[in-house]
Amino acid sequence: MPTLDAPEERLRKFKYRGKDASMRRQQRMAVSLELRKAKKDEQALKRRNITNVSSDPASEQLTKGVSLNLQEIINGVNASDPDLCFQATQAARKMLSRERNPPLKLIVEAGLIPRLVEFLKSSLHPCLQFEAAWALTNIASGTSEQTQAVVESGAIQPLVELLSSPHMTVCEQAVWALGNIAGDGPEFRDLVISSNAIPHLLALVSSTIPITFLRNITWTLSNLCRNKSPYPCKKAVKQMLPVLFHLLQHEDGEVLSDTCWALSYLSDGCNERIGQVVDTGVLPRLVQLMTSSELNILTPSLRTVGNIVTGTDHQTQVAIDAGILNVLPQLLMHPRSSIQKEAAWALSNVAAGPCQHIQQLIACGTLPPLVALLKNGEFKVQKEAVWTVANFTTGGTIDQLIQLVHSGVLEPLVNLLTIQDPKIVTIILDVISLILKAAEKLSEKENMCLLIEEIGGVDKIEALQLHENPQVALTALNIIENHFCEVKQPNPCPSLLIPTAYWFPQEREDFLLPHSYIICLCDGLHYQR
Amino acid sequence: MAMELSDANLQTLTEYLKKTLDPDPAIRRPAEKFLESVEGNQNYPLLLLTLLEKSQDNVIKVCASVTFKNYIKRNWRIVEDEPNKICEADRVAIKANIVHLMLSSPEQIQKQLSDAISIIGREDFPQKWPDLLTEMVNRFQSGDFHVINGVLRTAHSLFKRYRHEFKSNELWTEIKLVLDAFALPLTNLFKATIELCSTHANDASALRILFSSLILISKLFYSLNFQDLPEFFEDNMETWMNNFHTLLTLDNKLLQTDDEEEAGLLELLKSQICDNAALYAQKYDEEFQRYLPRFVTAIWNLLVTTGQEVKYDLLVSNAIQFLASVCERPHYKNLFEDQNTLTSICEKVIVPNMEFRAADEEAFEDNSEEYIRRDLEGSDIDTRRRAACDLVRGLCKFFEGPVTGIFSGYVNSMLQEYAKNPSVNWKHKDAAIYLVTSLASKAQTQKHGITQANELVNLTEFFVNHILPDLKSANVNEFPVLKADGIKYIMIFRNQVPKEHLLVSIPLLINHLQAESIVVHTYAAHALERLFTMRGPNNATLFTAAEIAPFVEILLTNLFKALTLPGSSENEYIMKAIMRSFSLLQEAIIPYIPTLITQLTQKLLAVSKNPSKPHFNHYMFEAICLSIRITCKANPAAVVNFEEALFLVFTEILQNDVQEFIPYVFQVMSLLLETHKNDIPSSYMALFPHLLQPVLWERTGNIPALVRLLQAFLERGSNTIASAAADKIPGLLGVFQKLIASKANDHQGFYLLNSIIEHMPPESVDQYRKQIFILLFQRLQNSKTTKFIKSFLVFINLYCIKYGALALQEIFDGIQPKTPLLQSLIGLFELPEDDTIPDEEHFIDIEDTPGYQTAFSQLAFAGKKEHDPVGQMVNNPKIHLAQSLHKLSTACPGRVPSMVSTSLNAEALQYLQGYLQAASVTLL
Repeated sequence: MPTLDAPEERLRKFKYRGKDASMRRQQRMAVSLELRKAKKDEQALKRRNITNVSSDPASEQLTKGVSLNLQEIINGVNASDPDLCFQATQAARKMLSRERNPPLKLIVEAGLIPRLVEFLKSSLHPCLQFEAAWALTNIASGTSEQTQAVVESGAIQPLVELLSSPHMTVCEQAVWALGNIAGDGPEFRDLVISSNAIPHLLALVSSTIPITFLRNITWTLSNLCRNKSPYPCKKAVKQMLPVLFHLLQHEDGEVLSDTCWALSYLSDGCNERIGQVVDTGVLPRLVQLMTSSELNILTPSLRTVGNIVTGTDHQTQVAIDAGILNVLPQLLMHPRSSIQKEAAWALSNVAAGPCQHIQQLIACGTLPPLVALLKNGEFKVQKEAVWTVANFTTGGTIDQLIQLVHSGVLEPLVNLLTIQDPKIVTIILDVISLILKAAEKLSEKENMCLLIEEIGGVDKIEALQLHENPQVALTALNIIENHFCEVKQPNPCPSLLIPTAYWFPQEREDFLLPHSYIICLCDGLHYQR
Repeated sequence: MAMELSDANLQTLTEYLKKTLDPDPAIRRPAEKFLESVEGNQNYPLLLLTLLEKSQDNVIKVCASVTFKNYIKRNWRIVEDEPNKICEADRVAIKANIVHLMLSSPEQIQKQLSDAISIIGREDFPQKWPDLLTEMVNRFQSGDFHVINGVLRTAHSLFKRYRHEFKSNELWTEIKLVLDAFALPLTNLFKATIELCSTHANDASALRILFSSLILISKLFYSLNFQDLPEFFEDNMETWMNNFHTLLTLDNKLLQTDDEEEAGLLELLKSQICDNAALYAQKYDEEFQRYLPRFVTAIWNLLVTTGQEVKYDLLVSNAIQFLASVCERPHYKNLFEDQNTLTSICEKVIVPNMEFRAADEEAFEDNSEEYIRRDLEGSDIDTRRRAACDLVRGLCKFFEGPVTGIFSGYVNSMLQEYAKNPSVNWKHKDAAIYLVTSLASKAQTQKHGITQANELVNLTEFFVNHILPDLKSANVNEFPVLKADGIKYIMIFRNQVPKEHLLVSIPLLINHLQAESIVVHTYAAHALERLFTMRGPNNATLFTAAEIAPFVEILLTNLFKALTLPGSSENEYIMKAIMRSFSLLQEAIIPYIPTLITQLTQKLLAVSKNPSKPHFNHYMFEAICLSIRITCKANPAAVVNFEEALFLVFTEILQNDVQEFIPYVFQVMSLLLETHKNDIPSSYMALFPHLLQPVLWERTGNIPALVRLLQAFLERGSNTIASAAADKIPGLLGVFQKLIASKANDHQGFYLLNSIIEHMPPESVDQYRKQIFILLFQRLQNSKTTKFIKSFLVFINLYCIKYGALALQEIFDGIQPKTPLLQSLIGLFELPEDDTIPDEEHFIDIEDTPGYQTAFSQLAFAGKKEHDPVGQMVNNPKIHLAQSLHKLSTACPGRVPSMVSTSLNAEALQYLQGYLQAASVTLL
C-alpha cells in the first residue's frame, strides 16, 4: 500500500517569488502523487503479532499439543463447545502468527471471521477472547480487503468494549487490533473513533501498566492521528493531545517514537491544526528529541517540527524560540541523507519567513552546512537546499543576501544548473537573477557578474537558453540579456546594451512601412568651409 | 461540408498532390492553396490516409503522408474560442486507424505517421485516447521488429516531454498510467531483445534492427526515469543496470561502420546508456550506489578503447562527462585515488582527447568562425577537448598534486618531440599548450582571463620559454595553429603574466594582425582589445596611452588593413579592437581622424546594404561616436566636418529604412546636435517634422534614441521650435501621450515632457497644460506603477520650480475642484498599485515588441549625460512629501498643522501621519 507521507506531498510553505508580505505566506499543496517506492523509514501502518517460537518457551508451553489442519480448525471454530472453539481459535491464531507466509487469505476465505468476532463477546472465556482478538489482529494486519472483512463482520464495537476488560492481556490485544483497523485509512480510523475508542484508550494510560502495553496504546493512538483527507475530527484530536504531551515526556524509545509520529500526523495540515499542536507546549521537548541518536525518534520529531514551521510566522517563532535553529545545523550534517533532507526542508520554511527569522538562521550558523549540502549532498537533499536558498533570497534583506553570497553559496548553486530537473534549474536561475539585482543596487553588479562567470555560471546559463523547457530557456535568456550582454566599458558612460535580437535570432518580419517619409538630411545643409 | 470518400475525389486529390511537388511555383502555389481551401471539409484527412495506404504511386504515398502530418499539426489542437477545425467523426476515425496504418507502412511513411500520432497524443493522450497504450503494448507480442520499432518510436515521441516539463499533478498522473501499462512490457521486451541479439550475433541485418530497438528502449528508459525514480524501475534496477553494463562492454564487428563522421548504432546506444547512468548517478545516488563502480570501470575501459574518429565524439564526451561528474564527489574519491588509476586516466583518457585532430585542423582553416566560437567563447560544451578539460578540473579537486605531476612529465616530453622536428611535430606542442592551459586554469572570465591558477604550474616561465619564441618568429603565417595557441595563452593568462612581458607582446600582437589565417588575426585583435581593457592600480587602464603611443600608427593601420583580409570584412573582434584602441588612445588618434572616419563611413555604407553582423555594426557605431567625441572635445567646430562625412550615409539609411541602423543614426545625430554650441542648425530643423511621424514610434527599438534626439532639439532649439514650428507642438505632445500610455515607455514620455517644460517658452505650451495633467491622471487611474509615480513626482517638482506652486494648485483645482492639492497627492499615493512588478518591466518590453528585432541598442560612446531637471531623484515620494511639509512648517511654524487638519479628510490625515512617521519628522 502506498503511503502518502513522503515530504514532497506534505504542505510546503510557498512564498517563492511572492510579491508582498501577505502573499508570501501562501502555502502550496504539492503534488500528491508518488512515482517512488514508499519510504522505508516511515512508521508501520499495520503490524502482525508474531509468535517467536524459539525464544518464547512460555507461549510454546501454553499451546503445546495443539496442531490442527485448516478443516479441523473450521470445524472447531464452528463447534458449540467452548473448549473446542478455544483450541481451534488458538490453532488458527498460531497459523496466523507464523513468521513466514501466514495463511491470511485461507483463513478469511474459510469464513472464520464472523465466529471470531462472536468470540470477542464471550466474556466468560477471556482466553478465547484473547485468542480471537489476536487472530483478528493478524487478519486486520493484512491487505485492505482483509481489514475490511474484519470491520464488516462488526469487530470494532466488541473490540472497543474489550478495552474495559479486567484482563490486561485481552485488553492489550484489543488495543492492537483496533490499531491495525485504524491504520488502514481514514474511513476505518473514523469508525474506530466514532465507536468511542479514544476515551477508553486514554483511560488505560497509567504509570503502572507494563511498557509493552503502553507501547501498543501509543502506537494505536498514533494510527488514530494518522492520515488526512479527511483528517481525524478536531474533537478527537483535542482529546488525544494532552495524553500525547504526557507520553512525550516518557523515556521509552518506542513510546517516544510513536508519540512523535502521532504529532507529526497532527501537525501535517493547515495552520489551525498546527496551532493545536503548538499550543500543547510540545515544542521544547520535540526540539530536545531532535538531538536523539535514535533514528526512529529523530525522524518523527524532526518531521513534526518541520511541519510546524510551515505554519504562521508566530508558530515558526515559537519553534525558533524552542531552539530549532540550534539543532538544525547538526542535522544538516547528519550521516543519513533522509535526515539531511528533512532538516533542509525545515530550514527552507524558516527561510520563507520574515527577515528576522532569516537573521536568526544566519546567527545560528546554518549557512556553512547548507552550502556543504548544496555541494556534496544527494540530489534530493540538494533540492531542498536550493529551496532554502530561494526562499532566503526572496525574503532576505540586502545585508542578508551579502552574507549568503559570502558563505559561498553561488558556486555549488551554479554547478547545479546542470541538474536534470527543470524546476530546480528555474529556481536557481531566479536566485541568480535576484542576487544580481541586489548587487546592482549596491553597485557591485560588475563584480558579481565576474564572480558568476568565474565559477562557470555564464557558460551554463548560456547553454540553458537552448533548454527544451520554454520557461527555463526564457529565464536564462533574460539573465544573459540583462546582465551578461557585454562587459562594461572602461569609461564613465552608461552601460552598453546589446539589442535583445542578438540572443534570439529571429527572422526579420516585414513591417510594410509606407515609405512616405523620405528624408534627406543633406537638403538645406550649408557648410561653411 | 463533407467530401465523399470516392474514387473521383481520390483521383482529384492525387492530381493536386502531384502538383504540389512541381518546382514551378506557378503550378505549385495554386495547388497548395487549393488543398488548404478544402482541408476544412469532413473526410479530407481520411482521403489522405486512404491515399497514403492504397495509392499505386509511391511518391504520392509519401506526399500524402507529409501533407497529412502537416494537416494534423495545423488543425488538431482545439483552441479555445476558435472553431474546432476537424469534425468529431474524422477525429475518431483517425485515432482508430492511425496506429495500425503507421505500423504497416514503409519506414518513410511510418515516420510521418509517428509524428502525427505524437501530435495527436500531445492533445488527446491519455484521456481522449485511452486505448492507445494497450494497443501499442499489444504489438510488442507481434515479434515483428519493424512493428515494434514503430511502436517504440511513437512511444518515444509521446514520452520525451517528461524530460523537460515541470512536475505537476497532471503530468505525474499520466506518467503513473504509462508506467503501469508500459514499464513491465518494456522490460520484458528489453530482455527478449538482448537475448535475440546473442542468437542473431552473426546476422548483420537482424542486429541492426535489434540495436535500433535497444536504442529506443534506452531512450524510453531515460524519459520514464527522469521525473523521479519509479517504484517499478527501482525494483527492476538489477535487470536494467546489468544489461546496460553488458551492452556498454559489448562489441560486434558486424555493427562497426566505415563512416568516420556519422555515429553508428553501437555508439548511439552506448552514448544513451552513459546518459542513463549519469542520470541515475546524479539523481538517484542512494539507490544506484552499488552499481556505480562497475559503470565507472566500464565507461573508462570504453574510453581507452575508443578511437579518434568524429563519429565517436558524442559517445566520448558523454562518457568523459560522466567520469568528471563522479570523480569530484567525496564518496567516490576512492575509485580514482590509486596512482596507477590516475596515471591511466591521464594517459589514456585525457591526453588522447586533447590532441588536435584532422577535423579540428579542417575547422581551423575552412570554418574559422565556428572554430573561434568554440575555442574562444566556450561554446564547445560537447567537444572532446572540453570534456577532457572538465575531467582535469574534476580530478584536480582532490588530486591536484599527483595530476599536475603526471601531466608535467607529459608536457615536457611533448615539447621535446616538437623541438626535434617542429614542422612535423607541431601538434605535440599544441597539445602541450592545451594541457598546460587546462591544468593551470581554475577559474576564468572573458574580462580578466584566468582569475585563479594552479600554483604548481609556472606560467611566466612557460610564457617566456615556449610562447614568446613562436610569436617572435619573422613569418607570421608559419604554424598558424601554434600562433593562435600562443596568442590565446596571452589572452587567458594576462593576469598572471607580469606587465613587462605583456608590453613586449603588444607589438608582436600588432604584427599578427597581418596574418593570413582568420583565426590568427582575429585572436590578435581580440588579445589587444582584452589587454587594453585591463585595469592597473587606481582603477586606471593597465596600459596608458603613452605606453602604446609608439605603436599608434602601425596599430591603426594594421587594424583597418585586417578588415580587408579575406573573410574578415565584418569581423567583430577587429571592430571591437578598433573601438577599444580609440578609447584608450584618445587625443593620440586625432591626427588620423580624417582617414579613419573616411574608412569607417565607407564601411558603414557597405554594411548598411545588408546588415548581418550586429556586434560588428554596434562597435562600428561606437567607434564613430568616439571619433566625434574625441575630436570635438578638442575642437568643437569640427562637428561640421563629421556632419559632412556622415549625413550622406545617414540619409541613405533613413531613406532605405534600414531598421537595424536607425536607432544608431539617431543617437549619433543627438551627439552631433548636442555638440553644437549655438542655436540649432537649419539642416536639423528640416528633419524635425519627420521625427514626429507615428510610424517611427511604432518600433520600440527607436523610442529611446528618438526621445533623446527630440530632447536635444528642445535643448538647443526650443525658441526656434516655438517661433518657426509652433504647429508641431501638438505633434510633440502626441508622442508624449503615446509614450505615457505604455508601462514600458512611460519614463521616456516623462523625459520628453520634462524637456518641454524645462526648455520651451511657457506661453508656447500654455494652452496644453491642462490637457497634459488630464492625461497623466487618466494613466494614474488606469494603471499606477511605482516607476510612473516617481516620474510623476519629478515632473510635479519641475513644474513647481518652473511655474510656481500656485500654478500647480490652479491646475489641480481645475481638474479636481474641491479637493485640496495635498489630499489629491495622498490620494495618488494610496491608489491601488498596479500588480505588475516594476522590476520586471523588461518583460513587457519584450512582449510588446513585435518579434524581438526592434529592441533599442544603446551606444555607450554616444554618451548622453545624466540630466536630472529637479536636481535629485525622488526615491520615496511619500517621504519626500513629508519632508517638504516639514520644511514648510519650520519656515512658518504653527500654520501647517492647522492647515492640514482643516483641509484633509480623516482618511487622508491618517495616511499623512504615516508618512510623517516614516520620515521621522513632525509638523511644527
